[in-house]
Amino acid sequence: MPRRQLLLRIQLMSNPAVLCGVRGAVSPLAGAVGFGEEDCHKITLALDEAITNVIRHAYGGKLERPIKIEFHKVNGKDAAKAGLEITLTDRGVKPNPDALKGLPPGELRSGGLGLHFMRQSMDTVVHTRVGSTNRLRMVKYIR
Amino acid sequence: MQISARHLDNTTIFDVTGDIDLANSPAVRKAFLTELREKKIPRVIVNLQGVKYIDSSGIASLVEGLKASRDLKARFILFGLSKSAREVLQLSRLLKLFEIYENEEQALSAESV
Repeated sequence: MPRRQLLLRIQLMSNPAVLCGVRGAVSPLAGAVGFGEEDCHKITLALDEAITNVIRHAYGGKLERPIKIEFHKVNGKDAAKAGLEITLTDRGVKPNPDALKGLPPGELRSGGLGLHFMRQSMDTVVHTRVGSTNRLRMVKYIR
Repeated sequence: MQISARHLDNTTIFDVTGDIDLANSPAVRKAFLTELREKKIPRVIVNLQGVKYIDSSGIASLVEGLKASRDLKARFILFGLSKSAREVLQLSRLLKLFEIYENEEQALSAESV
């Protein structure tokens, strides 16, 4: 069995109206990989937050900019431990390194929770900048 | 997402249904702040029974409502949280900062905390 198998590739426009459609796709996909209901919700939340961050920060709220998302089924070292890898790429501005440090939750502040939700929901969350492209890789394994 | 308001004496109850995300959280925030800051309503209650999904932008709208209510010595109350909405609020570690009840009757009869 391949260690990394492409399940779905989609290209979106940077419009908040697409979020509900993506949520509708990712939860059943995660379920088909083998995740339970609670983890499907966590994966959905992480992806929603990732797209929201691209729209708000990388593209500054501009609509109709491209966001590419790939979903791969992955296997860990133990073949029984499958997982879902989600990769987002965009051509927006480079993230501010301070913003990627995240802010502590639990304070009455109306921003900064998205990255915290992503890190709490997924096993791996890694941002990289390659040329003029931002790449976010998130992975969650089945427990 | 749909949001509608009911008005009782000195209280506005918002009934919210659908998902709250970046596409509609500005409208939710605006509705809360209009009641609290402009209309000076002393008690705003938010019915979340029909909300099955909320993300960080939705939580931010609730936080804005709570902050405005504290500034104005008003009350900002939530009820009817779904399991997933409660989980997201828990993840934000803000759950204990909100006044939350199971249903509308409890929310209306609760004394100020």
